[in-house]
Formats: sequence, C-alpha cells, structure tokens
Amino acid sequence: MSYYDIDSILTDAEKIPCTFQLDVPDLGYLDNTPTQPLKAGTRVNLPLWLAEMLVIANSGDIEGKPFVTFDLPPGLGNDVVQALKADPRAVPLRDQSPHFYGLAARLMELLDEKELATVLRKTFVVRASEIALHARKVGGLGQHKGKSAAEEGCNLGIGGAGEDFLRGLDESERKLFRKAHDGAKSGKEWMEGIKKH
Amino acid sequence: MPIYGDLGNKLVQHAKRTQNLAHLPPYQTELVRAVTREVRELDKDVASLLEPYQGSFDPSADQATACTLLVNHLSMRRNKRCLLAYHRTRTDKLEELVWSGADPLDLAGLQAGAVNDAAAADGGESSSLSPQEEDYFRQYGDLLAAYKGQWTDIDLTGSLEPPRDLFIDVRVLKDAGEIQTEYGAINLTKNSQFYVRQGDVERLIAQGYLQKLG
Repeated sequence: MSYYDIDSILTDAEKIPCTFQLDVPDLGYLDNTPTQPLKAGTRVNLPLWLAEMLVIANSGDIEGKPFVTFDLPPGLGNDVVQALKADPRAVPLRDQSPHFYGLAARLMELLDEKELATVLRKTFVVRASEIALHARKVGGLGQHKGKSAAEEGCNLGIGGAGEDFLRGLDESERKLFRKAHDGAKSGKEWMEGIKKH
Repeated sequence: MPIYGDLGNKLVQHAKRTQNLAHLPPYQTELVRAVTREVRELDKDVASLLEPYQGSFDPSADQATACTLLVNHLSMRRNKRCLLAYHRTRTDKLEELVWSGADPLDLAGLQAGAVNDAAAADGGESSSLSPQEEDYFRQYGDLLAAYKGQWTDIDLTGSLEPPRDLFIDVRVLKDAGEIQTEYGAINLTKNSQFYVRQGDVERLIAQGYLQKLG
C-alpha cells in the first residue's frame, strides 16, 4: 500500500460509525450542526482516515481515554458475517463496501476479533478460487466456439450464472479477476502464436 | 454540510477514473484550488486555536481543544495526500505518453490552448493539461531525448514487436512533409501510399501520421 495508491486512499474514505467520548465545542459540523457544540455520546459516521487516529489518540496514557470509540460498520455486521459463514460466494461484497477487504483489514488492525478475521480469511480463499474459475472460463470459450466467440466473451465479461457473482466483487477482487483473465488470455495467445511459426 | 476532506475525495475519484482512461481528462483546476484553500483555512483555524496558549499548550489539560486540533491536522494531512496522489496519477500518465511517442493530437491541443485562451474558455478545443503539466511534459520529453541520445544505434522507444517484414505498405493519414531514407527522399502527402522500410517510418506510425496496411 503506497502513499499514492488511489484505492488505498479511497478505502480511507469509507465511513464507520463512531461515538464521541467528550464534549468538543468546535466540532459541531461533524454532526451537521456547525453552531452547536458536539456533545459526548454523539454518534457520527466518520471516514477511516479521521476515525482511526481519533481512536488511537490518547490510548497510550494510563488515564487517557480515546476521543471516540467505534463500532463495526453494517458491512461487517452480524448479518453479513452469518451470510459469509453460510456461503461466501452468495454475498455481493461490493454492496457492503466497494473496498470491502481493504476496510476489513484496517479494522482488524484496530480490533481483536479473531473469529471475524477467520471468517474473512476463509471468505477470501473460497471466493478467490471461484474468481479464478470464472476468469478461466472466459478465456476458454474461444476454444470451443472459435475466435469470434472468444472476443465476444471478452467484451461481455461473462454471461449467465456467474454474472451476479462477478458484479458483487469488491475492488481488489475485480483486480484479481482481471489479472487471472488477462493471464489466461495471454497464455492462450502465446500458444497460438507458437503454432503459426 | 460537507466535512473537510470531501473535496479531496472528489479529486481522488477523478484520479481513479483517469487510471482507466487512455487519454488524460481535463485538469481539475477549480477542485485543486478549493482543496488548497481548505488547507489554508484549516491552518488558520489551528493558528487561532493555539494563539491564546502562547506556545505552552498542554493536550491533557484541554482535551476538547486537543481533539479539535487533531481533527484539523488530520484533515490537512488527508488533503495533502489527495492532492499529491491526484497529481502523481497524472504525471505517471504524462510520462507514459512521452514514452509512447506522445499523441500529436494532444500536442496540437496544447498549442491551441496556449495560443487562444479565449477559445479555451468557451469549452472548445483546449488543453487538458495545467500549465505546470505542460512544462513537465516538455521537460520530461527533453530528459528522455537526452537519455536516448546516449545510444545512437538503439531506439529505446521503438516497437517491442519483432518485425515480420523489413518493408511494409503504409498510407499517409496526415501530411508529414519530406523524409530522408536510405533510398532517397519521400514526400509524405495525405492519402498517398508507399512501400517503405519499416524502421524508417516507425515513429510516424506511432505518432499517427501513417497507417500500416496489410
């Protein structure tokens, strides 16, 4: 994750529900009331880049309490986790957050949630192999139906049953899909090139 | 009410879109200006918050102020990152353009933009680069030329595809004037067709003056 990485910056903009632990007179605007002080106990959705440091700040002191505490966003809530446990492939992660894994990984650094981490890890593995499967299918189409079908397949991405699954991929999974797909395609092209000479 | 950093986010979304485009979309002058203005405002806020303390601010004694300062500081840092990432994405693209032989259409757009700003304001054919980016583009081009100049017998920006034939048929898409080849001079006028050595015209093909046939 580079400082300049666009996806990492966009992940940083994902919001999580936070609760302020102290009164802050000047931060009312965070709760849409710029003229009022922000009261302790106010719940606001803050982007990760803000929330993370506010949570960490002061936690080093023995007496100090953090400025804010946070909860898991709905995308990582119980409903979603139960669904992921049942079948990782059936959950459109993109609907939860376009940067689902990026967000999850950042939150795992702040929390000690071993079980959630395990579910997420398993989710990634199961979905990754499904992605690889779909990516290869697109490349393989051409071998059965000739070149035009292969090109068609590339343009459409993929048709039929896999469509819903692929639409639900989060940003990192999309990258994975593209890499797997391009790899299979270049491999095939190379093989064909060899035969010609 | 938008919170600090929202504008920076817009900028990064522009950058994200830019990554997937072949060309460079127009520079977001207004947005960049708005984000830098936001940073300046935040900095002013911080200065006025700290002023009464005369340099002896104790964060643990005044938690609320400490929290506000932290939020302001983080917002500035966030904006800085958004600005840098936006510009970096664009310079990466510019360098790519230089290496690929630079789209002459884009260059024409540059010149038109420089000559008549009035037409540019109308939203006509105008440059999509900021003046600084144009400088960057030009200077990077000079750098690359100087670097390439060290090897006279290798064209570093030449095609990586091994040629099938030494000679190829080309059609002239745009007047490119006269070029010198081993076999004499050729006058490249629009819509004419030639059988030439590939090495002689590779640059012109890359720049879109010629089209390879067959």
